[in-house]
Amino acid sequence: MLRVAAGDTAAFAALYDRHHRSVARFAHRFVQDAGKAEELTQDIFVKLFRHAGRYRATAKFKTFLFRVAANHCLNEVRRGEYRVTHVPEHGEEGQPVEVPAPEAHAPDRAVEGRELEATVAAALERLSERERTAFALCRFEGMAYRDIAEVLSASESAVKSLIHRATLSVARAVEAWQAGARSPARSEA
Amino acid sequence: MSCTVEDELTAYLDGELSAVEAARVRTHLASCADCRATEALLRRTVTELAALPAFEPSVTLRRRVLAEVEALPRPWPERLREWFRPALLAPAGVAVATAVVVAVVAGKHVMADRAEQRTELAVAEHYELLSDYEVVGLSGDDLDVVEHLDELQKEGRP
Repeated sequence: MLRVAAGDTAAFAALYDRHHRSVARFAHRFVQDAGKAEELTQDIFVKLFRHAGRYRATAKFKTFLFRVAANHCLNEVRRGEYRVTHVPEHGEEGQPVEVPAPEAHAPDRAVEGRELEATVAAALERLSERERTAFALCRFEGMAYRDIAEVLSASESAVKSLIHRATLSVARAVEAWQAGARSPARSEA
Repeated sequence: MSCTVEDELTAYLDGELSAVEAARVRTHLASCADCRATEALLRRTVTELAALPAFEPSVTLRRRVLAEVEALPRPWPERLREWFRPALLAPAGVAVATAVVVAVVAGKHVMADRAEQRTELAVAEHYELLSDYEVVGLSGDDLDVVEHLDELQKEGRP
């Protein structure tokens, strides 16, 4: 990172290669749209390069990176630059977000995977921005509560509440979808 | 649900509680069916979320990011390094040395020119006198002779 701060673009490229997937995944969970997620990822890495001098070796790099990423996503969404894309719930028409490759021998599981993805995306959309950020960092990036607290400039107990509320909310949505998906009425339809 | 322990269940699953807090939750779960059901739901959901496909950014994103970064103005440390790199520093040193030599030589010429200029000014000052004696073209050293030419002639000198 010190080399990046000195303008070393090769060091920056290595940094990008190592972390871009995490940042893109995070941005995608935030806006639920592939194109917008890539735009945000691009902005985040350019911002990282421009302000690399502010990084202090005392902070974990991943924490620093996601602080930049979370602030950028929150600011852009609040500014109205990006709107969280409405993800159709199961049964609605429309294109779902990223889906697993359909398995020829298990089409039902592929459909179920798409529906689960859409259900989770719709549940994330209903969360507050901070709940969504904390949830995405915890569930999809595997970050510890302490690090998420640093990213959000919050206390660990606040992060514990955010993650619990978000996880429970998503769990209830998944439970409702599963109850509907596996009900006899739906099976007959 | 009214159990205060419920708020701890996600942190319990994530292994984020201290040993004492985790033991308290375990004890509570043994006696609370509602919390056990919630804990099971959370556990199932966390497992299902881990199996969701991850978004994969396109390969063109890398090119776009690096192109934008390359187009940015370079930071000062890099610009300074660029200026002071040996390939530029050596010719710059030669240029500075040459400039010093040129300045010294040119300075001498300027001094000489100024001396000559002073002579010319003196000639101009005594130009009428010089014309009278048709000695235009004499150097400044002869001006004293020119000035006192009458006296010298009276004394009979050539």
